[in-house]
Amino acid sequence: MLPAGFQFSQSTLQDYVDCPRRFQLRYILRQAWPGVRTEPLQQHERHMDRGVQFHRLVQRHQLGIPVEQLERGLDEELAGWWRAYLGFDLLHSMLGRRYPEITLSADLSGARLLAKYDLLVVSPNQGITIFDWKTSLKPLRREFLLKRLQTHVYPYILARSGGGLLGTEISPKQITFCCWNTAAPSEPVIIQYSQEQYQQDESYLSGLLAALRAEVERGPAVWVLTADEHRCRFCEYRSLCGRGEVAGNFEEMDDFGDEIDPSVADFGLVDVEEIGF
Amino acid sequence: MARTRFIEGPAGTGKTTYAIGELRRLLDDGVRPEQILILLPQRSAGWPYEHAFTAPDWPDGAQIDLVTIGGLARRGLEIFWPLVAEKAGFAYPEAEPQFLNVETAQYYMWRFVNEAVQTGVFDSVNITPFRIMTQVLDNLSKAAINGFALDDVTERLVTAWGDRHSSRPPVYHAAQHVAERFRAYCLENNLLDFSLQIDLLVNYLLDEALYREFFQQNYRHLIADNLEEHTPVTRDVIRWAWDDLDSALLLYDTDAGYRVFLGADPGGGLELKARCDEAEAWEQPYNLPPTLGTLAHELGTLLDADRPRSFPAGENPRAGFTLEFCQFYPEMLEWAVNQVAALVQHGVPPGEIVVLAPLLGDSLRFALTTRLHERGIRTVSHRPSRAVRDEPAARAVLTLMALAHPGWNVHPPLLDVANALQQVIEELDPVRAWLLAQIVYRPGRIELGTFDAILLAAQERITYRAGEKYERLRRWLAAYQDEDAGTMPPDHFLSRLFGEVLSQPGFGFHTNLDAGRVVAELVESARRFRQTLYPRAEDVTDWIDISREYYELVQAGLLAGTYVASWQQVEQDAVFLAPAYTFLMRNRRVSYQFWLDIGSNAWWERLEQPLTHPYVLARGYPHDQMWTDEQEYFSRRDTLRRLMVGLVRRCQEHIYIGISNLSEQGFEQRGPLLQTFQQIIQRYDQLEEVP
Repeated sequence: MLPAGFQFSQSTLQDYVDCPRRFQLRYILRQAWPGVRTEPLQQHERHMDRGVQFHRLVQRHQLGIPVEQLERGLDEELAGWWRAYLGFDLLHSMLGRRYPEITLSADLSGARLLAKYDLLVVSPNQGITIFDWKTSLKPLRREFLLKRLQTHVYPYILARSGGGLLGTEISPKQITFCCWNTAAPSEPVIIQYSQEQYQQDESYLSGLLAALRAEVERGPAVWVLTADEHRCRFCEYRSLCGRGEVAGNFEEMDDFGDEIDPSVADFGLVDVEEIGF
Repeated sequence: MARTRFIEGPAGTGKTTYAIGELRRLLDDGVRPEQILILLPQRSAGWPYEHAFTAPDWPDGAQIDLVTIGGLARRGLEIFWPLVAEKAGFAYPEAEPQFLNVETAQYYMWRFVNEAVQTGVFDSVNITPFRIMTQVLDNLSKAAINGFALDDVTERLVTAWGDRHSSRPPVYHAAQHVAERFRAYCLENNLLDFSLQIDLLVNYLLDEALYREFFQQNYRHLIADNLEEHTPVTRDVIRWAWDDLDSALLLYDTDAGYRVFLGADPGGGLELKARCDEAEAWEQPYNLPPTLGTLAHELGTLLDADRPRSFPAGENPRAGFTLEFCQFYPEMLEWAVNQVAALVQHGVPPGEIVVLAPLLGDSLRFALTTRLHERGIRTVSHRPSRAVRDEPAARAVLTLMALAHPGWNVHPPLLDVANALQQVIEELDPVRAWLLAQIVYRPGRIELGTFDAILLAAQERITYRAGEKYERLRRWLAAYQDEDAGTMPPDHFLSRLFGEVLSQPGFGFHTNLDAGRVVAELVESARRFRQTLYPRAEDVTDWIDISREYYELVQAGLLAGTYVASWQQVEQDAVFLAPAYTFLMRNRRVSYQFWLDIGSNAWWERLEQPLTHPYVLARGYPHDQMWTDEQEYFSRRDTLRRLMVGLVRRCQEHIYIGISNLSEQGFEQRGPLLQTFQQIIQRYDQLEEVP
């Protein structure tokens, strides 16, 4: 059974598409399993941290914190990314209200779908542009992007629930998805959304959710493991599934195999932690 | 402001349901969801909202923010750190801060407490350094949430102590000194514990024009639920935001205030009523059987010294509860388990049953879990501050960690090595594991002996299959010593040991989901330790001593993080075993409750905390007033009253109450709660006798 209040996101759905068993372990059983995802661990972790720092830097900038206060203390790598971001004219020349780090959600076939956007720029006459920051090691490939759930979930949810931001109903063709990568800052991948794509996405996502539900209803049996064992090299459940001992090298990982699920990166409900006396 | 309302009433009168309805109305009126802020006292209070937001008919749109005051502070500081860091006196304002949780704060605090303990300043209080540490951290939190300076804390404690034994005031000063050293260290190293996060929010962030602008643009509507459980600083933030809001709905549970020991200020929460245009008092709870309604009234009256005693007009409460008197503690547990089993047999979902005790120690948890599992009934329990190291899987992994580092000169006892081998090698039973450990392990020897070197007869007894696994483990540890020791932080070591050996097919943790959870907690604690204390991994050339430091801190019991996995499991359809307060703070209603051992004084006693004080370190307490024994007595009664009434109001069918004449330790028990129930029984027996 899915946990009460479960919300689907692009990363949870991507997990299901990549490996149903991984979805079952992570989200149905919520099984913590401390295997190594990728090696070298420290290098991977450092890269992830950098990604988080960069996202925060951009968020701060978009909220109006002066540039000179943001630039202090940046190391060479971050400073390089930062300069590239400041040179991203498409974004900086764009007029409209900016919503950094905003989360939207919509219901699809009785399931709640959620998307956490790095930045939405709402231009009353031009529509809404989704900006997504990537800090991948390699330049983005458009065809790879088109296969990722994110490319479909983000514009779809915006089309469903972004009308409030625009002040009027939003048409899919008013949505642009712009993926910008620090590894190739002058070559953002820009995807124009459309009514046709919206309908295809709705049908695809509904089908995916229906398949997932059917799987849930089948009960506690072990869900299908991915046929692509290469994926298992980058999965913490490798040993539980009997799919190898050693983690793969993170430089060989798919471009966004290390995305952070927004549901785990939110600190809104930080407790006053209970201290044991 | 367009509309401000204050609704007060006991639990179960529909306040939160109303708030959710109000949210829908706001959305229907065109309010954008991202402009609504819901302030909650703690995470667990958010579940009704989270459930509502994921319902199929919930409107599409942005997420509504559910935050605690800690979450608000942390979010604000994550974004606006560059604006406040220098002003607040941090040594490296250009660098990012490290957010500490209780566990990582303890790592730092531990050094200062130990140094102070060694000077003898805490000799006059008979508590462990660990408890000194937690209480100093508690004082820091209390200072922050009440807006006190650290020396105000000491002054209040000294004044409240009055003219009792003279050795205590110097101890308060010593505790303050430790807190000040910790605070200075945080400022020097960009560390933000909970108290400093709150301090920065209130004293710096709220004064920043950009933060105010951000807040105004983001939040136009406020709902503050369980206002009685919020701290004074939350009220300050509400006041700060008040004039810029378009609407506010404040909800107050009149019988609650369970988080006083964490700094909640129920009395202060009521002050906000005066700011609201409308105030309503709701009295009638939904779905509370009349018998339990009378019981709540009786308990509320008998335990409230200020309330005139009156016979309620309701039904005889005795039909609402079953009281079972047992001579011995195990007998009471057996009775409770039998009753739970009977309910489940009659079709009651296990999730509709809770078993509550004032404290849920390991032995009680184990006894209940084992007995209920024997009956095929699932359980889930939550107890805060559970040390991961106490779990057998964690102990096994830590023993192997020590064996992998012979240079530490930590020699685990033979029994620990045997237990570890039995845990991690599937084929080993306790006898074989003991035999193997005796042969291959010699404390002080650099490495474990090989299986090949064992006499054939012993190999046969241990079995070759087990020997093969043992060899694989031994070779992994030896390879680590030869090639990787020093290059791997402690969390990486644990993670690799688990993933590459212990959870591989044929080893004890393969498909052992519980062991996976436990070791994951351990790895997470090691990761937090490493990231917080040694954030610049590139500067570390050798991790051996750091891993040892981690190992020693674990052995010292400093791993005190809440067992997150258990929180997540609460959703399962399982009997919930918990301390009474934990259940109350979940704010859920169930059909059946079991209260164990109501003769125990633990239902009534406050935790012994010689270095802090939840009532004196409260904004509403006069700073120049001594804390008297009379105040202590009445505060205990009041706490017990809130607890009892709160529990009864969260029961929809029946309460089973177990009494053990003799405690676990064999002492006769006649605590105040038992006496209260005796009064209720006598009163209604007399009423029944009247023709």
